[in-house]
Amino acid sequence: MRRTPIVLAATAAGLAGVLGFHTKPAHISFGVSSGTATGAAATGASSPASTSGASAGTSSKAATPTTTAPAHASPPASAGASATRTATGVVVNYNYGLMSVKVTASGKKITHVSIAMLDDGGNSLSQSIDQQSIPLLEQQALQAQSGSIQGVSGASYTSAGFAQSLQSALSKLGLK
Amino acid sequence: MSGGPGERADAPWPAPEVHRLEQVMGTVVVIDLYTGGEPATAEEYRHLAQARAILHRADAVFSTWKPDSPVSRLRRGEIELGEAPPEVREVLELCAAARDASHGWFDPWAIPGGVDPTGYVKGWAAQRALDALLTSRVTGALVNAAGDIACHGSPAPGAPWRIGVADPASPGRLAAVVDVAGAIATSGTYERGAHLFDPRTGAPASRVASATVTGPELGLADALATALAVGGAEALELVESLDSYEAFMIGTDGAPTATARFPFAAGTGAGSPGVA
Repeated sequence: MRRTPIVLAATAAGLAGVLGFHTKPAHISFGVSSGTATGAAATGASSPASTSGASAGTSSKAATPTTTAPAHASPPASAGASATRTATGVVVNYNYGLMSVKVTASGKKITHVSIAMLDDGGNSLSQSIDQQSIPLLEQQALQAQSGSIQGVSGASYTSAGFAQSLQSALSKLGLK
Repeated sequence: MSGGPGERADAPWPAPEVHRLEQVMGTVVVIDLYTGGEPATAEEYRHLAQARAILHRADAVFSTWKPDSPVSRLRRGEIELGEAPPEVREVLELCAAARDASHGWFDPWAIPGGVDPTGYVKGWAAQRALDALLTSRVTGALVNAAGDIACHGSPAPGAPWRIGVADPASPGRLAAVVDVAGAIATSGTYERGAHLFDPRTGAPASRVASATVTGPELGLADALATALAVGGAEALELVESLDSYEAFMIGTDGAPTATARFPFAAGTGAGSPGVA
């Protein structure tokens, strides 16, 4: 139990090291269509930005994004549909601490999703991590303590927090 | 930690020949394929593409998050069931069967805002994706949809799939390790806040911290795990009476309970010092 945060932090740092920062977009970018990414927000109530521990999903039905933004959400300081924009989602409370997700889009296409903030209660990390890593971090942490299992059941709360923050970032970008 | 005599719990497991992470359905789905040490061929990758397509199609059709998905439109009364894609009717029929099997503890029609098959769809889609993966070369396959897991064959000759159950009271630790022959699903309020509804009152409810169900098919296992999370001990009795499905739950007080034949891995189990 005492070791878990250490395992997690080490995993995150290791991944960030492997993936680099913005230097290797091929490794940290996903050709996610906006439709797919929107669906990723399975739980997210797009609650106001805050660090409250509001549980994900309790009022999700009422929180359907109202942004029916047209294709070009007036990108700042640049013209053209392919202008790059970035937004950071709300800080959500997940079971290891606080996290928020940053999304970069070019036109209507999401080009990069990363972790803007990750605070596991002692180690404040601000790293660019493969968007697929965070939901798997806890699975890796769990599997690390038991080398002979092939998966973990009942460990999806991190991805729920991830999706909630992702959804709010998408809303800010007018990507539904 | 080690297993009992003859167990190979500490043996290094072979890595899957194919390991794929798919961002879909609001989560990450892990797909692992074992082909007996031989490289996967184009045929396996074709089947992998079909499995991925199944997951994305399920997301597009059933998402209650996409306002324009057929299920969202159905919930708003904009279309009739007959106008929705055929798999919507199929899933709703399976949901009705699950509702009956769970004596109403799982009830997508009791959810505020209209029928919501979400509690069935993720498992159903993962199971279908798994089925699509199988070729004559595949010796083991696993689809892990955020902890709802369907598997086939085995990761190594003679070895069962071993799946950990997350400890709801202690992130990063396991409450149990389970030998899984088909499917395992876990439900609990810790996942997503109070997303479970008591069909008998319409209010958010959960009587347990964590509810796990194993069985041959992931859609039903997923639904039964939801039923167990809402119905607690009553629903556990019910699962006990079902052929091929077993249940393990951890109460809000941390106390574990399981059906008689729940497949705890050797040397593990509820309250085992080796895991808890």
